[in-house]
Amino acid sequence: MGAAGSKLEKALGDQFPEGERYFGFENFGNTCYCNSVLQALYFCAPFREQLLEHYANNKADAEENLLTCLADLFSQISSQKKKTGVIAPKRFVQRLKKQNELFRSYMHQDAHEFLNYLLNELVEILEKETQATKADNETSSSPEKIANVLKAPLANGVHKEPIVTWVHKIFQGILTNETRCLRCETVTARDETFLDLSLDIEQNSSITSCLKNFSSTETLHAEDKFFCDKCCSLQEAQKRMKIKKPPHILVIHLKRFKYMEQLGRYKKLSYRVVFPLELKLSNTVDEYVDIEYSLFAVVVHVGSGPNHGHYVSLVKSHNHWLFFDDESVEIIEESAVQTFFGSSQEYSSNTDHGYILLYESLGTR
Amino acid sequence: MHRVGSAGSNGGSVRTRKEKKLTYVLNDANDTKHCAGINCLDVLKSSVSNDQSYLFTGSRDGTLKRWAFDEDATFCSATFESHVDWVNDAALAGESTLVSCSSDTTVKTWDGLSDGVCTRTLRQHSDYVTCLAVAAKNNNVVASGGLGGEVFIWDIEAALSPVTKPNDANEDSSSNGANGPVTSLRTVGSSNNISVQSSPSHGYTPTIAKGHKESVYALAMNDTGTMLVSGGTEKVLRVWDPRTGSKSMKLRGHTDNVRVLLLDSTGRFCLSGSSDSMIRLWDLGQQRCLHTYAVHTDSVWALACNPSFSHVYSGGRDQCLYLTDLATRESVLLCTKEHPIQQLALQDNSIWVATTDSSVERWPAEVQSPKTVFQRGGSFLAGNLSFNRARVSLEGLNPAPAYKEPSITVPGTHPIVQHEILNNKRQILTKDAAGSVKLWDITRGVVVEDYGKISFEEKKEELFEMVSIPSWFTVDTRLGCLSVHLETPQCFSAEMYSADLKVSGRPEDDKINLARETLKGLLGHWLAKKKHKPKPQVLASGDTLSVKDTKKNLSASKTEESSAASDPVYPPFEFSSVSPPSIITEGSQGGPWRKKITEFTGTEDEKDFPLWCLDAVLNNRLPPRENTKLSFFLHPCEGSSVQVVTLGKLSAPRILRVHKVTNYVVEKMVLDNPLDSLAIDAASVSGGQPQPLFSGNGLLQSGLKPWQKLRPSIEILCNSQVLSPDMSLATVRAYVWKKPEDLILNYRVAIAR
Repeated sequence: MGAAGSKLEKALGDQFPEGERYFGFENFGNTCYCNSVLQALYFCAPFREQLLEHYANNKADAEENLLTCLADLFSQISSQKKKTGVIAPKRFVQRLKKQNELFRSYMHQDAHEFLNYLLNELVEILEKETQATKADNETSSSPEKIANVLKAPLANGVHKEPIVTWVHKIFQGILTNETRCLRCETVTARDETFLDLSLDIEQNSSITSCLKNFSSTETLHAEDKFFCDKCCSLQEAQKRMKIKKPPHILVIHLKRFKYMEQLGRYKKLSYRVVFPLELKLSNTVDEYVDIEYSLFAVVVHVGSGPNHGHYVSLVKSHNHWLFFDDESVEIIEESAVQTFFGSSQEYSSNTDHGYILLYESLGTR
Repeated sequence: MHRVGSAGSNGGSVRTRKEKKLTYVLNDANDTKHCAGINCLDVLKSSVSNDQSYLFTGSRDGTLKRWAFDEDATFCSATFESHVDWVNDAALAGESTLVSCSSDTTVKTWDGLSDGVCTRTLRQHSDYVTCLAVAAKNNNVVASGGLGGEVFIWDIEAALSPVTKPNDANEDSSSNGANGPVTSLRTVGSSNNISVQSSPSHGYTPTIAKGHKESVYALAMNDTGTMLVSGGTEKVLRVWDPRTGSKSMKLRGHTDNVRVLLLDSTGRFCLSGSSDSMIRLWDLGQQRCLHTYAVHTDSVWALACNPSFSHVYSGGRDQCLYLTDLATRESVLLCTKEHPIQQLALQDNSIWVATTDSSVERWPAEVQSPKTVFQRGGSFLAGNLSFNRARVSLEGLNPAPAYKEPSITVPGTHPIVQHEILNNKRQILTKDAAGSVKLWDITRGVVVEDYGKISFEEKKEELFEMVSIPSWFTVDTRLGCLSVHLETPQCFSAEMYSADLKVSGRPEDDKINLARETLKGLLGHWLAKKKHKPKPQVLASGDTLSVKDTKKNLSASKTEESSAASDPVYPPFEFSSVSPPSIITEGSQGGPWRKKITEFTGTEDEKDFPLWCLDAVLNNRLPPRENTKLSFFLHPCEGSSVQVVTLGKLSAPRILRVHKVTNYVVEKMVLDNPLDSLAIDAASVSGGQPQPLFSGNGLLQSGLKPWQKLRPSIEILCNSQVLSPDMSLATVRAYVWKKPEDLILNYRVAIAR
């Protein structure tokens, strides 16, 4: 392993980025789903920054939770003396298994499910922290302020202002769901937030076309009509989803595991879905703003079925693409990324397919 | 896909899983007005047989009306009531046959000059029927189009005439609904005999225009019925031969839903209006679009053309009515309305305009010489790009309309747009489109208070009562008025003391089931009429009836003499006969129908009413219910000097009043202490089974027992709050206890005040 590290160092030579650490993660028996996602997140610059900050601010006495475990792990990596090597994310994995039954078994797990769980868990912890500090501030504040609180109507207790955590600031976007009644043609819009977009995929398609399908018009009809407030009745309606606020980090999950009704089980779709290194988002509400994104991490599923296989990740760090496979870290050519698009034929020897894509916003042009 | 096959299958197989529901619609006091938006209109011009001309309107309130003119006034001369959902389109076919289609998935034909006789219900569509088209010179041909892409072409004459052997088959065809295709369809009764329709499944089948992938919103047919055009969400125009149902072409051009179509008399030219806000003129001979007119700034929903097809009147979502010269592209704003325009009809020199509002207006239109309107100035040239028009209107460059005032207004009542069921579950607060707030009593079907234009929210708060009664009905306002839906067994969950309903002559603790009494009130007229009829004819064909049916019929006829008569309708459930509600039933073979309760003739088939309704009304047999009882614990207050009466879990009707509990405690205490004869009763209950104590006529009727004088003053508390003696246990539970666990009540000797 040491040799592998030095090999990577040799390969990079002078170009080894200042202060950067490339460490593989030990596998504790089918924990590759976790390792691959954690690597991708480690190289998500704003996420790492916030976690390290959290670690610095939160010392010893804090109660252990997924957030502290992850912060510990990240700081452990970044403070390594060696530039490369292997780390065992033991505490984090133990904590994860302790907290969620789902991840406790040695079964093969879904990386997207894990990422989703992790982000939501972090949000919850952060929200609790904010609430706690708020409460502290309120009790220590002047009696004047308390009087004000008492004066406020009772409804305040029910109404909760949503807390925006740094996880929200990094990953959260807003979708708007526009529904037009086909009778009176009144458009009603409803907003919903998202931390990642799950896209249906097709053979020989691209992320752009999948996003287009995602925003395509769906007609609510027959048994599934829309209750129009204006018509006071059920009517046909056209519905479409648009991105109202694009997130800073766009996480795209390709729905490669599809439930096949005739088989009665899930099947992996090895479809070729091209994901560009630079992505233009066009299904936004304001059609004239094309927001651009740059790909920085790919979680890859290796294998032909949904219940077994392996996860690895590709990560872009300081203009180099790195390949993380549990303990091992290798440097790869940028052109190699396209070998993870999928295959045009159903049966192919290449079973390494991009599964979760992480894009960082370059701002609007 | 279609209901064709359902003839022998005991009808509506989809619904057999669920019990049928009964709905009643509370009609506004004025039956001569529509109470919801007008979706369609048509004019019957005077002819040899009748020198009057009439206007027909079809509304979202589910009815059609016929209007007669008298100089410059208009009055309602008939109401056609049978559809149970929006009437979406109507057209006149032949001499005086009125054809209508509805969101209730049916097409109905009416004798347009009668006082509301429905001659046939055509059930072929499986989703909303949105539009109709009639061949002006080939009276029999009518096309109906609807959601799901269904388009049928009917020969109305054939569809109306009896198919199977008439008369002799009349009464025996009961398995197809006792009413079969009766020959005398057009003449039965004087009122709307809707129930006498049957499905056309065993007889006439219409021609199908197959091939629509999506919903159809517009149809047009030429005079001779040789050409049919359809439009809808597919954004294309499809042209058909209605005689065969075969496709002849498909025309692309619109970028959104096609909402309205017009054909000239020859069938060569076609006009289309679309949600893309454009009007297009097509040459069907050349199979191409000749012109695109950007006149409107929003969806085009209505078109009408002068007879020579040189000028088009158009209206739509932008609430404007325009006149456009198809050749010169010159366009002029005729008038602006306050609501989106839904349909237009020309009459002589005027135009009738229907909007989403419940009134109809006639405007001057110079139909005979449209060019004179342009001479007044204010016209503009219609471009062919929609955004140019949008910009004009944004910049406020629209000229003033040519006409300011309509020549005739047919007023309607404003539809209800907001409603709130009050906690007493007998009253509903409503707000109509004009902002008037009213309070309805749904067990009598009347407005009890008209508050005028006030704040709905404030009134709602003002009327808040702290009472808890189970929800026994649901309400919707899609017909512009209140539709109350009753479903078994939920509807039987609410009861009240007859004393509280001011029903006299009943025992003290007599409880009245709200739904049962309401049903009695609704079906009273029918039962009364039925009683005077000879025994129902349906029984004659008993051999074809299923066991269930036989049982039902037997029970019905048995009770006819007994309970129905001896069971009067209480005043709080007497429906107004001035503005009687209409009943909507899902029906049996003939499909759903609607009729005013006072217009029942007694000949209506019992099978058209849900069995559970008849059971409740005729036999007082209600389905097993939950929720009428409530369990609770009764404990002394902490630190109370009152001696402890040990009690287990108690059970009582939800509507039991707190003062009854007080009485109970008093009795227990007095009995427990000096006179201990009955104390065993309480002591024996060690907390296991709930004790069904407050049943029957209550436990304290014995008002004059000796210990009464010693009666201490007791208060009942819940969550440390002293309860008012008038509160019911359900109310205490909902507003004071507020927990899912069993209610705990405390008692103590009242503190002297």
